Amino acid sequence: MLQKLVARNNITIQGTGSKSMFLVHGYGCDQNMWRYITPQFKEDYRIILIDLVGSGKSDENAYDYDKYSSLEGYADDIIEICDALNAKDVCFVGHSVSAMIGVLAAIKRPTLFEKLIMIGPSPRYINDAVYFGGFSQNDIDDLMETLDSNYLGWSSAMAPVIMGNSDRPELAAELEESFCQNNPEIAKHFAKVTFQGDNRSDLSKLTTDTLIIQSKEDAIASVKVGQYVHENIANSKLEILETTGHCPHLSGPNQTIEAMKKYLI
Amino acid sequence: MNYSIDYKELYNTSPSGYFCSLPDGTIVDSNKKFLELTNYTREEVIGEKNFTDFLSLGGKIYFENVYAPALKLSGTIEEINFNFIKKDGSAFPVLINSVEVKDTEGLHLFTQSAVFNISQRKKYEQELLIAKTKANALSNELKEVNKELHNRAELILKQKLQLEEFNHHLENKNRQLSSFAHIASHNLRAPVSNLVALKDFYNENIDLEDKAMLFSKVEIVIGHLDETLNELIESVKIQGNKDIIHDSIIFEAVFDKTLAILDTQILVSKAVITSDFSEVPIASYPKLYIESILLNLLSNAIRYSAPDRIPRIHFYTEMKNNEILLIAKDNGLGIDLKKHGHKLFGLNNTFHRHPDSKGVGLFMTKTQIEAVGGAITVESEVDKGTTFNIILKKNRK
Repeated sequence: MLQKLVARNNITIQGTGSKSMFLVHGYGCDQNMWRYITPQFKEDYRIILIDLVGSGKSDENAYDYDKYSSLEGYADDIIEICDALNAKDVCFVGHSVSAMIGVLAAIKRPTLFEKLIMIGPSPRYINDAVYFGGFSQNDIDDLMETLDSNYLGWSSAMAPVIMGNSDRPELAAELEESFCQNNPEIAKHFAKVTFQGDNRSDLSKLTTDTLIIQSKEDAIASVKVGQYVHENIANSKLEILETTGHCPHLSGPNQTIEAMKKYLI
Repeated sequence: MNYSIDYKELYNTSPSGYFCSLPDGTIVDSNKKFLELTNYTREEVIGEKNFTDFLSLGGKIYFENVYAPALKLSGTIEEINFNFIKKDGSAFPVLINSVEVKDTEGLHLFTQSAVFNISQRKKYEQELLIAKTKANALSNELKEVNKELHNRAELILKQKLQLEEFNHHLENKNRQLSSFAHIASHNLRAPVSNLVALKDFYNENIDLEDKAMLFSKVEIVIGHLDETLNELIESVKIQGNKDIIHDSIIFEAVFDKTLAILDTQILVSKAVITSDFSEVPIASYPKLYIESILLNLLSNAIRYSAPDRIPRIHFYTEMKNNEILLIAKDNGLGIDLKKHGHKLFGLNNTFHRHPDSKGVGLFMTKTQIEAVGGAITVESEVDKGTTFNIILKKNRK
């Protein structure tokens, strides 16, 4: 069972520790995003890293368009992996959309998670009458077009050749070294699910102790959105970092680690 | 050879757009081409604009989630397609390559980017996409049409099979009609010839006593003629009824009814009658016909039993070659098939001078069986017994 999950989600385990830290990347890339963060927690935690199904080196064939048409599908995977690893009192770290995945998992199994750390979360990206998510439907359509025209090393004719072909090893090697290269069709579908989703009503159901880490300048999940999340989760703290961009764990790893350590004491 | 290259001038006049940004995205340098492409002056850009200022909101999502992380993780990124926004707000498509410039300790100092305007390429790409979509649509249409044709072909095949079946029916009917015509002419010929002869005698004869005697002979022949005509009319009724309504028949039940009808004859003959319909207990068959067939065969078996032994009669059903068989077996007088086999199922034929034998029974039974699409054959040995084999419905080969 565990073997199957390891293959499905490209699970890697580092470090030793009685407590588990489960880090999940957001939209666009994979577990490599955490490479500047994990060394700092290896001694105290058993670190669990995964690639969401459809991303990174996960098993593409396991991408069920129905299951993953909602974030619940991913939340179920998280719970399944925790159970298979016998993880208890998990500290869940989720970036961007995975912060919401963490929320859904913690609502389903509150005793499984001790703490939730969200980096750049957003419960909804599209503005509505009173809510500022930051984007209009047009902007999301624009994103879809950008996705359409960026295959980052893939070509829809070539991709099947690459996936199963042993007589073009140089291509496989190329993919091995490159980052954030996900199957274009799946990337589009995941983008739709992420950026057209709405998990605002789930926030108030969360009882887990939560830390929200926010870049002071983030075009994707602005401070306004971070504050909204903080206001709607009862048991939460908001920490605004002097970083820019949506991935402070990549662009400002030291500040991110500091904020995390302060919270986890 | 020294070509005295001015690198700064080269950089500035390069045919592709260059710009240099800090790790947080602030643009600290660019060449002429970049400013031309985006329609800004140097003062408006250097130190004032951020990389992301040239992107739409949708592009920004891609930048933050894919472009920037990939650049950070591997140090370079190539062939990214963005829409860059000019000063006037209009956008043009670009391909962009970027590389992180680091110091000796690996600290990220700058990001160097090269930008190509691909407006023409984009048009071509879009035309290709449209053509691809059209081709896919056409392919799907063709698949639909193909499926439709396939369905039509199947329908035509079904209709062909139906026509063949109708043809078979018509051939059957034709056979029956011609056989009827043959029988009619044959069986009516004799009595009518008789009447003609008697009429002639009557006319030639003057004697009143002779005339009276002749007339009584005429009466007898007319009686036979009348009877034969009635029997023929009966069989016509049967033969006309090809598309007969079928009922669900439980052989056991019909056989019990038949036993009840022939109760007296069975008692008198002391016949031992058994049946076994377990192999095929039910069938789809016209009720009236099966009753008539069972009645006819059972009454024949009782009538033509051997006087010196206890009559044993057995009716049973069997499945053979996917056809249902109904078999009637007796240990009676038997028939000399060599002598009478070819006339067995004909009209007005009897082989035993039995007071009750009229000779129309087997003809009617055969007609009924064939009308429903079956067949009847007989095996027999004189003084041993007779077996009638009925195929209820023949398989079309």
